[in-house]
Amino acid sequence: MSTLPQMPKSWRLESKPHKFCPGCGHGLVLKALGEAIDELGIQDKVAFGCDIGCSLLAWDFFNVDTVQTHHGRTTPVMTGVKRANPDVICIAYMGDGGGYAIGSQHLVNAAARNEKITAILVNNCNYAMTGGQMAPTTLPGMKTETTPYGRDVEQSGYPTQGPEMVAAITRDGAYVARGTIANLKQLKSYLKKALENQLAGNGFSFVEALASCPTNWRTNAKDTWAFVEQEMPKYFKVGELKNPAEKGDE
Amino acid sequence: MNVALKTFSHEGEKGSWTVFPGLCKGCGLCVEKCPKDCLKWSDQLGVYGTPTIQPDMDQCIACGICANVCPDCAITVEKNK
Ligand SMILES: Cc1ncc(C[n+]2csc(CCOP(=O)(O)OP(=O)(O)O)c2C)c(N)n1
Ligand code: SF4
Ligand code: SF4
Ligand code: SF4
Ligand SMILES: [Mg+2]
Repeated sequence: MSTLPQMPKSWRLESKPHKFCPGCGHGLVLKALGEAIDELGIQDKVAFGCDIGCSLLAWDFFNVDTVQTHHGRTTPVMTGVKRANPDVICIAYMGDGGGYAIGSQHLVNAAARNEKITAILVNNCNYAMTGGQMAPTTLPGMKTETTPYGRDVEQSGYPTQGPEMVAAITRDGAYVARGTIANLKQLKSYLKKALENQLAGNGFSFVEALASCPTNWRTNAKDTWAFVEQEMPKYFKVGELKNPAEKGDE
Repeated sequence: MNVALKTFSHEGEKGSWTVFPGLCKGCGLCVEKCPKDCLKWSDQLGVYGTPTIQPDMDQCIACGICANVCPDCAITVEKNK
């Protein structure tokens, strides 16, 4: 019987327990990412960039070179690292507010230029770190701190469909998928393919992950799973949108 | 990290099951996902002073789902060969 917890090898044991809340989806996304990094054997080549928002709590999460950037700027920072040193495997990790609101121009233009980095975006339907305000991904009718009567689509529009948008503006060679913490095996396979796509030098790789935020959703474990498994996929379809490894995709 | 190395282990017919209370935040995600519904709150406290969890080893099939869904890697399950 081993006395060490079964964590991905790339996790930094000294910084655990990590800083995310109980039941936080970030922990599960980073577990799947850690396993993907382990299985590809790329730990010594990875540079990990995290955003402002709860993603920044991962600044000491992995035993890899890590940088934390201004809100929404993780994508261009990792693009710069990649351009300066193409051998480094660059991961830009951000929240839905960071990627689809304050940093949307960066995501759009990195995707349009087909930058050879891997961007991972955690969709928890709100601005979590600042206390649960409406985000571009807040579901229609969903209550948040700034939509106490539920998101009114007449007033605030419909939620951003990130992977659909990225798939529409990227060219050949891009990998685009939406996974969920409700299917960790699939999420890991998407993250692995997104990293392999960068390793192959094909183009921009983007994975959105549907993830929990029990603290701001104010849900117990049962309702947390119900929201992730039943409510989120109603609006956000899980699956691969673009995969250069599959012939006849474009 | 030392505190995380403290363990509570349980042996059963199908395998062994261990929780690291120093990692367990008491979120309950594992409890909801156990296919045998055999995880219950424990008298032992986790890292935030909330109850950690314990299995009923007469029911546990050592499937490892609880370990898979734990965001903090607080559970280790080893199936008997
Ligand atoms: C330029 C800028 N604008 C606003 C903020 C305030 N701010 C900090 S975290 C955050 C929300 C982050 O939400 P999200 O990107 O969805 O990440 P989450 O915390 O939900 O994982 C905001 C608005 C900031 N730090 N910098
Ligand atoms: S506020 Fe939400 S997203 Fe942030 S660490 Fe807590 S559960 Fe996770
Ligand atoms: S190993 Fe499977 S059966 Fe045993 S407690 Fe965990 S989820 Fe339940
Ligand atoms: S999922 Fe992990 S942290 Fe949450 S209650 Fe279970 S063992 Fe504890
Ligand atoms: Mg968010």
